Amino acid sequence: MTKNSRSEYLVAAVLVAPFVLIFGWMFIYPTLQMLQLSFTKSPLIGAGTWVGFDNYIKMFNDRTFWTAIWNTSYFVLLTVVPGTAAAMIIALMVSRLNGWVQSIILAAFFLPYILPVTVVYLIWDWMLNLQFGIAQFIIEPLAGKRVNVWRTVPWFMPMAALLTIWWTNGFSILLFLAGLRNIPRELYEAAALDGASRWQVFRSITWPLIWPVTVLCLTIQLILQLKIFDQVYLFAQGGRTQATMVLVQFIYEQAFQKNSGGYAATIAVALFVIVVGFSLLQFQVLRARGGNK
Amino acid sequence: MKTFLKAALVTTALLTTVGVATAAETVVWWDFLGGGDGVRMKKLIADFNAENAGSIEIQGTTLDWGVPFYTKVQTSAAVGEGPDVMTYHASRIPLAVSQGTLAELSADDWAAMGLGPDSFAKETFEAVNVDGKQYAVPFDTHPIVLYYNKDKLAEAGLIGADGLPAGLDGKDNFLAALQKLKDGGTQYGLAMTTADGGFAFRTIYSYLCQQNGVIGTDGGWLEGDNLDKLANAVQVVADWVKAGVTPEYTDYPSAVALFTSGEAANMINGVWEVPTMADLEAQGKLFNWGAIELPVLFDRPCTYADSHAFAIPNNAGKTPTPEKHAAVLKVIRWMSEHSLFWATAGHVPANATVQASDEYKAMQPQATYAKLTANQVFDPKSVNAGVASPLFDAAGNAFTAAMNNEVDAKTAVDEMKAALDAL
Repeated sequence: MTKNSRSEYLVAAVLVAPFVLIFGWMFIYPTLQMLQLSFTKSPLIGAGTWVGFDNYIKMFNDRTFWTAIWNTSYFVLLTVVPGTAAAMIIALMVSRLNGWVQSIILAAFFLPYILPVTVVYLIWDWMLNLQFGIAQFIIEPLAGKRVNVWRTVPWFMPMAALLTIWWTNGFSILLFLAGLRNIPRELYEAAALDGASRWQVFRSITWPLIWPVTVLCLTIQLILQLKIFDQVYLFAQGGRTQATMVLVQFIYEQAFQKNSGGYAATIAVALFVIVVGFSLLQFQVLRARGGNK
Repeated sequence: MKTFLKAALVTTALLTTVGVATAAETVVWWDFLGGGDGVRMKKLIADFNAENAGSIEIQGTTLDWGVPFYTKVQTSAAVGEGPDVMTYHASRIPLAVSQGTLAELSADDWAAMGLGPDSFAKETFEAVNVDGKQYAVPFDTHPIVLYYNKDKLAEAGLIGADGLPAGLDGKDNFLAALQKLKDGGTQYGLAMTTADGGFAFRTIYSYLCQQNGVIGTDGGWLEGDNLDKLANAVQVVADWVKAGVTPEYTDYPSAVALFTSGEAANMINGVWEVPTMADLEAQGKLFNWGAIELPVLFDRPCTYADSHAFAIPNNAGKTPTPEKHAAVLKVIRWMSEHSLFWATAGHVPANATVQASDEYKAMQPQATYAKLTANQVFDPKSVNAGVASPLFDAAGNAFTAAMNNEVDAKTAVDEMKAALDAL
């Protein structure tokens, strides 16, 4: 028996070895390197000098770091829950459709998701263009005048959030649709026989049964949006980058523009800690809530 | 079908033989020229390859302009995977030298290229020097200029006897002229990129220089009265925006569109927009236009310029063979001597011989603004200056809000100094 399980361990070890090796080499090792880099004053390329916790002290006293923390949190707040809610509502509506109509509508919602960020940037940049943009016909009555939203700080993050939801929502919609299709028909039939109202059906059947999908969507969205970079970087170029800075952009700026690899690594460590912390927290909170059902 | 197949086979065989024959010395070339000038550069490369078939072949690749290009160059040179020759902004050379990315050019190299300090304008040659050593060969100078709509200016009586704009010098005078154009029914007197303080740095830096002001260098940014002079320069643009003669928060493509559609009578932009105008004019879609040196708003003429130069990367662990090195120098020499064609992209050829040629003097509006190379100012020599640098970034943050009167000019330049001092 012992011999048997030992050989099983061996087989298991052999089977997971490629993954462990590649994971260790491509992920763990660079992460440790980054950690080490964060304690040095070094350029982007080449060796640096050990400076202990200097980079961390500098970071906590850096006004831009706190701006980036605030902007990233604000962006997460504006996208994660609203985006997931929008995806669920759209999925509920799309699931009521049938046949080719459903396919076409679904494709329309999914289309933005396959666009690369550069295309998204160009589309929205032209739509919101101060002189020639079509969206200014909506903004002008609302704000009283034409607004260059990418240069007006209070407009920046909400607009970036809106376009991000538009861009990335297709995937969440698909997940929700899959979740909705997994709910057995009989439950709805039974509810209909019992004379349940639409709201009761949603509250007692649909909502609890798609809760796992909701948790999945929220977690994916949270991690994704904490790492926001492309949109903000593209739209802020040449403008007030310090006021609209987000964390990954701050890392990029320090590493590639200001050639401070050490300090950039320090901010990256901070982001790493934040992402891990948030994910654990969210997972715990959502699991606890889900468990009560 | 059979004949076709045979023909195809023969052609392929021929092409292969030719391919083998030409592979004598290849020169791997990287540039960041993606726009109208990129098309012209590809033509120059093709011409060179045709002329030197059998001895040297340039293998060109165009990469993304700005930070991505320079990051790639820096990282690939550090591992010995850089190209044999590349385009480089003169303003980025101090940073590249501090990172050990560029190979120094020796006196023998200059002799082999038939070029030297006298072949270029003083500031242009100075711009490729770091501590008395040269790291690149200037190919062009690309300043900013004032584009004007000749029809509109003539209507407002702003065209002189020589057919060029007149009465634009002096800060108040210039604003009055723009106002006059606006009153005459043109929507804007002047378009410029007011949404991008990093881009507008070129304009504001010119006005700083017109007051004999300097930005300074590492450790000593905007010292003494330079801070006030910079605030004056920012205020110039802020006043245009406030008066409504310049549109607020306007991005680059919109500024060009406002000018080419006739809604703005003037535009401040780089010479690289000359092909846009020339092409529209050739299609009969443009008014009479021209481009001149920036009007003198303060004490003396001065305009921002940068230079596209050719540099040889210092590929770690790899010394090019003498044959390869000679081929690279030959490429640079050929390009410099053929830079007349490059001038059609708007850029002023750095090679003084080319600039003095009759062909160049006949080229309009290039020949009109080329004289500004006598009054040009390059970026301050600092590892933090140059295109897409921390200095441009600081300008983006400070100038964008100030040009559009969201913060006053003084506060903006104080913040800029603080940002620069923190570098």
